[in-house]
Amino acid sequence: MSGVPASAFLSLALILFCIGLYGALTKRNTVIVLVSIELMLNAVNINLVTFSKYGMMPNITGQVFALFAMSVAAAEAAVGLAILFALYRNKKSVNIDEMDAMKN
Amino acid sequence: MENAWIIPLFPLLSFLFLLLFGKRFKESSAYVGMLLTFASLVYSLLVLFERFSSPTYKQEGVWLTIGDVQLTAGFEVNQLNALMLVIVSLVSFLVHTYSKGYMHGEERFPVFYAYLGLFTFAMLGLVLSPNLLQTYFFWELVGVGSFLLIGFYFYKDEAKAAAKKAFIMTRIGDVGLLIGMILLFWQVGSFEYDAIFAAVAAGEVAQGMITLTAILIFIGAVGKSGQFPLHTWLPDAMEGPTPVSALIHAATMVAAGVYLVAALFPLFTASDVALTTIAVIGAITAIFAASIGLVQTDIKRVLAYSTVSQLGYMMLALGSAGYVAGVFHLMTHAFFKALLFLAAGSVIHAVHTQNIEEMGGLWKKLRVTGPLFLIGTLAISGVPLFSGFFSKDEILIAAWEGGHPILFLLAVIAAFFTAFYMFRLFFMVFTGKSRSEMKNVHESPSLMTLPMIVLAVLAVVSGYVNTPWFGTFLGDWLVEGNEALGHGHVEGPAWIMIVATVVSLAGIYLSWLIYGKKSLSRNWLGAQTLYKVLYNKYYIDEFYSMTIVKVTKGFSHFLRYIDTYLVEGIVLGVTAFVQTLGRLGAKLQTGQVQTYSAVAFIGLAILMVIFALTGGYL
Amino acid sequence: MMSGEFIAFMGIALVAVIGGVLLLNLSNVMHMMVALVFTFVSIAGIYVLLSAEFVAAVQILIYAGAITIIMLFGIMLTRHEDTSEAPGSSWRKFAVFLGVLGFAAVLYFGIYNLDLPQMENTLHEKNTMQIGEALYSKFVIPFELTSVLLLVALIGSIMLAKKDDEKEGDKE
Repeated sequence: MSGVPASAFLSLALILFCIGLYGALTKRNTVIVLVSIELMLNAVNINLVTFSKYGMMPNITGQVFALFAMSVAAAEAAVGLAILFALYRNKKSVNIDEMDAMKN
Repeated sequence: MENAWIIPLFPLLSFLFLLLFGKRFKESSAYVGMLLTFASLVYSLLVLFERFSSPTYKQEGVWLTIGDVQLTAGFEVNQLNALMLVIVSLVSFLVHTYSKGYMHGEERFPVFYAYLGLFTFAMLGLVLSPNLLQTYFFWELVGVGSFLLIGFYFYKDEAKAAAKKAFIMTRIGDVGLLIGMILLFWQVGSFEYDAIFAAVAAGEVAQGMITLTAILIFIGAVGKSGQFPLHTWLPDAMEGPTPVSALIHAATMVAAGVYLVAALFPLFTASDVALTTIAVIGAITAIFAASIGLVQTDIKRVLAYSTVSQLGYMMLALGSAGYVAGVFHLMTHAFFKALLFLAAGSVIHAVHTQNIEEMGGLWKKLRVTGPLFLIGTLAISGVPLFSGFFSKDEILIAAWEGGHPILFLLAVIAAFFTAFYMFRLFFMVFTGKSRSEMKNVHESPSLMTLPMIVLAVLAVVSGYVNTPWFGTFLGDWLVEGNEALGHGHVEGPAWIMIVATVVSLAGIYLSWLIYGKKSLSRNWLGAQTLYKVLYNKYYIDEFYSMTIVKVTKGFSHFLRYIDTYLVEGIVLGVTAFVQTLGRLGAKLQTGQVQTYSAVAFIGLAILMVIFALTGGYL
Repeated sequence: MMSGEFIAFMGIALVAVIGGVLLLNLSNVMHMMVALVFTFVSIAGIYVLLSAEFVAAVQILIYAGAITIIMLFGIMLTRHEDTSEAPGSSWRKFAVFLGVLGFAAVLYFGIYNLDLPQMENTLHEKNTMQIGEALYSKFVIPFELTSVLLLVALIGSIMLAKKDDEKEGDKE
């Protein structure tokens, strides 16, 4: 019923995940880092939904999982931004390399 | 006798006690030392008397088991050990008593007594040792004790240098002893004296090896007993307090060397070469040191050279197979040399100088010290009826019977020299005009004179335990049950005794002519060069510093360069490497979560790649 | 076998990847966010292709809508002019790039060897109803927990943002 193989979806998810990973590890702006993490979560969601359809036992559970992941991602984004604001008030900066409080 | 091991523990107790609580006792710490050494003395005497009637007692316990070799530790009371115990504890006790007066007012008074205790403990332990290893321990401990005591006035540069010199010079000898000891152990498989003697007697050890080990051990004795050519530390050791000199010269340090040779006598007798070496070294030392003693002007240095000379005598006796003669002289010498040193200390105490050129006419002022000093002088000069006469006579006979006419001749000349310089000392100190600056000369307190009187009595009578006239009690007793030690008394031609008497009297007379009556010019030595050579002790020290010290220094400079540039370079390299590593590590700790996660991720990626490439199995 | 479905997938995937690459390479933060919206929307398309219509709708609502807007707020409320990259971090970028490349290669190796049998499924029939039934029957406890989580996140965010306000107010 489908002409698109599962590996194509998985590869796309992999590419997006890698982009998100690279961004999360190299970008200086903390907002962009958060966004990159959202991208990685999205890539994971694609995987979940793909396996929900093409897995050994096609099941709706994968999609439900993706929904849960989204809600958690939304909560994470909200809290992450709140922390970012708190940091910004203290540091007057959103540059991630100036957040080195763990060093001292 | 079963409890003889307790004897050395008394001085050790004194040492520890004074080390811990000495400050609180101040000068009364002398009583602690005196009491404990007196206990040693009493016990030693008991052991000695018990030894007269009972055989040698020996007790040992296993100390270490290495493979199938057992090292033992224990103690042994044979004739020599019992005799030495009494000599050491007696002299030590008298020195303890004497020091109470002599060291009065000294700030580190308790420390001095603590050191004395350590020194006495070491020597008593040494003479009780039944095996070479134990002997070696105490041998080194004696070295430590002498180092501490010679350097007691450590704020004086000379004392510091002398202490170091004594330590290093004896150390050279100790290396010989150590090597000899290890060789013996290798050959015999035991450090036990008895086992060694048995192996030697049974011919289990090659003749060459016996000679080698005997000479190596003798080198140890040379260092400790101040024999030529390692004698130079002994006169320098005069920088220590005078009671220490008495202790070192009479009972402990230098006696250790002679004791070692005597204790290992059966080993030495197994090798003619070794015996001859000992005899020759002894004779050379005797005449050599005596000739230096002729011109020294420091009262203690004269006595020091006389000690070196007398030790040479003992070695000569031992080397000529005269075991009894050597030990006998060791005993008599201990008494009269201790007496002489204590008397000299009393003189120094009175006039506050050690230069005999500045003394004179002290006979009337030092009513007690003077006669006592005279007794000591007569004894060491070998005047008949004094103890030195009998023991020296024994040595001369031994040398004659030993078949070394040249050595005998040297010994006779040395005896002449001894008589001469000892009376030179006596005349210059006690007779003649008294110097003006010696106004407030006073006799020493009775605390100091009493020990001297005891020693003076012994210096007179101790000779009578072994005489050709009244029986040779000591000699017979010493060799009892041990054929390896030779005969108790060797009958010699009667003319030897006459020669000895004549020679010593001639020396005294000549000395009186020059220094007493002053009818002969003091520049009797005529040739100034000879005088200079003697005064500078044959330039031995200079010779050493020109050759051995220079070479050693050069070598050590070379080693220092290696140390500075190679060793230190490596060390610095290592530290630099570690520091760089640390700095890099610290740099990683930026506190930035992003960096941390980046590093963690890269690590994960590398692991994954390796995992994939190797198919999952590393 | 270029079915229409495959063409659609290729187009959507291309848009998603281009959006991601632009996210990495643009210098202006606002432009990055716009590029990201493209990616999120195309992911929703992917979900449609995977017969998950409800998830696609939620994706657009939450990601393209809510999260992007929140992030935009975050950017606007903070100083966003500073876009320059820190000097000296290029070696790290390179190292991370290599790491990501290796990671991707390994994973792709795994994906390439994956051989899943095609199963008949009925996900596309009344998709939303299926999800609803699953959520309210089988996953009701996680569902309720999620609501608690969201509440906690809400309160937490407010507290985090508010606490410092009061402190600063005290200082001033």
